[in-house]
Order: sequence, then structure tokens, then C-alpha cells
Amino acid sequence: MTQANLAMAEKLASTSGKTGKPSMTPEQNQTQGEHSDSQTDLQLVRKVRNGDRAAFDLLVVKYQTRVASIISRYVYDSQEVMDLTQETFVKAYRAIDRFRGDSAFYTWLYRIAVNTAKNFLESRGRRPQASADVSDAENFDDGIRLRDQASPERLLQRDQLQEELSRAITELPEELRSAFLLREYDGLSYEDIAKILECPIGTVRSRIFRARDAVDRHLGPLLNHTETT
Amino acid sequence: MDDRLRETLSAMMDDEADELSVRRLLSHHDQARVRAQWQRWQQVRDLMHSGHTPAEGVDVSTHVRAALDGRSGSARQRTSAKGISPAARWRWPAVAMVAVALVVGFGAGAGWDSREDSAATGAPEMAAQSFPDKDAAAAPVREVALQGLDKEQWEQMSQYLLEHAQHNSVGAGRGAVGYARVVSAGNGY
Repeated sequence: MTQANLAMAEKLASTSGKTGKPSMTPEQNQTQGEHSDSQTDLQLVRKVRNGDRAAFDLLVVKYQTRVASIISRYVYDSQEVMDLTQETFVKAYRAIDRFRGDSAFYTWLYRIAVNTAKNFLESRGRRPQASADVSDAENFDDGIRLRDQASPERLLQRDQLQEELSRAITELPEELRSAFLLREYDGLSYEDIAKILECPIGTVRSRIFRARDAVDRHLGPLLNHTETT
Repeated sequence: MDDRLRETLSAMMDDEADELSVRRLLSHHDQARVRAQWQRWQQVRDLMHSGHTPAEGVDVSTHVRAALDGRSGSARQRTSAKGISPAARWRWPAVAMVAVALVVGFGAGAGWDSREDSAATGAPEMAAQSFPDKDAAAAPVREVALQGLDKEQWEQMSQYLLEHAQHNSVGAGRGAVGYARVVSAGNGY
């Protein structure tokens, strides 16, 4: 990336409230909510409505951590959180025809999750301690509660993974790293990234894919290890 | 899964995939591999953005699939108890009501028009006695056979079924009184 491009990147990033400089601390990187992903979600929802279970699988995988985090604001037992997360998705699947698309799919899912958690507490004669508004859906820090529940061993694993992630990103070729970080940390569209990097959109798409693939290969063994522990 | 499809999946991660590509991806024969790749990239994203590792994260997708397939799952058990739709709740009572209406209506119709036959066989005359005596109650219920109907009975039966179907299609689920009871009182079936 040239100096001019970097300057443009920082300008674009500053308009979205970002520094343009990636940091590895999760607290400083709550850009996930900015990835509305509405188009992909709507495409997947349409497929689900036509009976495509595989499409719903992708939605579950995509949102399960965030849904669990929402529920963990109400319920502190980790097994109950898992059960209610599961229940939320089952309810969402059964009610998918009622999703009109007025709001983002995640906002709709967020409401179901909150209601599921509240109903659960009421069924147990407990009053919900936390309150969540739909407007929280996009800004909700989905990491805090689950991170609080992590054991020291897992904290160590996380540190190792974060370290490896930093290394994997650092080792990426410059053109791949720029595209990848502008997308992941600044949430820029392929079109904006193409303008900044002065290359076709197809190239941006390809670079981001290759970067993602390289990071995945680098972290692969560790991800597999932590999944089984 | 070739690189082209994986690139499409990567674009889907960024909300940059077109509908045709998504369709192609979802029709790929090895959906397990598609899902696994998607999950790994989501894990990396989770790690980058919220610091979740897969171990402390969540994977309920297998259980959700099992629950939706009707296999075991704790959440499924809870939702199955509470999540029965009103339509499903009324399905079996409605079927039972229609069945009873048919049996009662058909039996009543057959009884009135075959008094001679029933007198000969000793079957209870339901129209003549609304509260059958002990002997009649003890007597076996005559099995109604469609083959034994004469032309007039067939016409009555057809008319009855037609009106019953019309009644059902117009006012299904709205009335609490069975159709057979209404027509028994009104039309003289």
C-alpha cells in the first residue's frame, strides 16, 4: 500500500470511528457488530424458507456465539446457556416464515434469544436481572460474559491463539494483509478496499480469501486442539 | 471443495457474495465440508473480534440439527412441551369430532330408514329412544355397512356428506356443535 493509499485508508477508517491500525485486544475490536451481513443473511433465510437446512446451519454457526453471549446476560449457568442457545435457534427455525425482513436477521434473532431467556427465568420463578433492548443488538459486546466464565487454562489457550493470530497476520504478504485488515478491522466493503488499494474488486475478493486461508492454515492445528480440550 | 467455492464462501463471510454463487455453494454435494470451512473462518473472526477461542465458545449447531431432525436434545424437549402450535393442538380433537359426527349422523340416518330391517335384527332404534334401556344397551351395536343401503339411503348419505364438507369448509373450527347434531335437529337426518 502506498503512502497515499494509507492516508486514504486512515481517512476512511476515521469516518467509521476506527484508527485503521489493528490491535489484537478484543475490547478494542468490537467491529463485528458493524458487519451487518444483511444481504448474505437474507439470502440464507430465503434458502431456509425453501427448506434448505444447510443454509440454516450456516446461520447457526455464524451467530451461535453471539446468541450465547446475549443469553449469558440473564442466565449464568453455562449448561443452561447452551440449552437456551439451542432453543433459540430451534424457535427461530420454526418461526422463520414470520421473519419479514423489516430488521436485520440478527436483530430478530436477538429478540428471540432475549425472550427465550426471560421466559426460562420466569418459568423458574426468577426475575430477569439484566435487561436488554433491541437497540443493544448491534452494539452488544458479546465477548465479555463468556470471557468472564473462561477458566485459567482456557485463558492461557486464548493468549496462545491471540499470539499465533498476530504472527499469522504479520507473516501475510503486504497486499493480502492490507485487504484482510481493512475488511476485518475496519469493516470496509470490497468496493472501498478496491478504491484504496487501487485494484479491481475481484482482486480484493481473491486477496481476502487467500489471507483468510493462510491464517486458517496457520491457526488450524491450534483451533483443532482447543476444540477438543 | 475447490478454491473457487471457498472464495465464494469467503465472500459470503463479508456479505459480498451474489445470490447465484450462494446457491451454487449450498448445492455443493459435500455440505459438511462447506460447513466446517465456514465454522473455522467464523472461529478466526470470533477470535479477532471478541477474543473467543473455540473451546470457550459455543457449538450448538449439531444439537440444533438433531433437535430439528426430531432426534434427542435438551432444548428440543423443552420446546416440544411449550411450543406446540394452536393448529396442532386442535388437530386431533377436530378429527375426533368429525369422526363422531360422521358415525352418529350416519348411524341415525341408517336407523330411521331401516326400521323394518332393524326390527328384524333386533338392533336399537336410536331415533325412537334417546335413552336406550338396559337390554338395548347390552345388545351388540349393529355394524353399519355401506353395501346394505338402498337408493334413497345412498342419496341421503351423499347429501349428508356433501353438506358436511360444505359446513366444514365454511365454518371449520368456529363452532363447538358438531355438524351431525345440528342437522339431526334441523333437517331430520
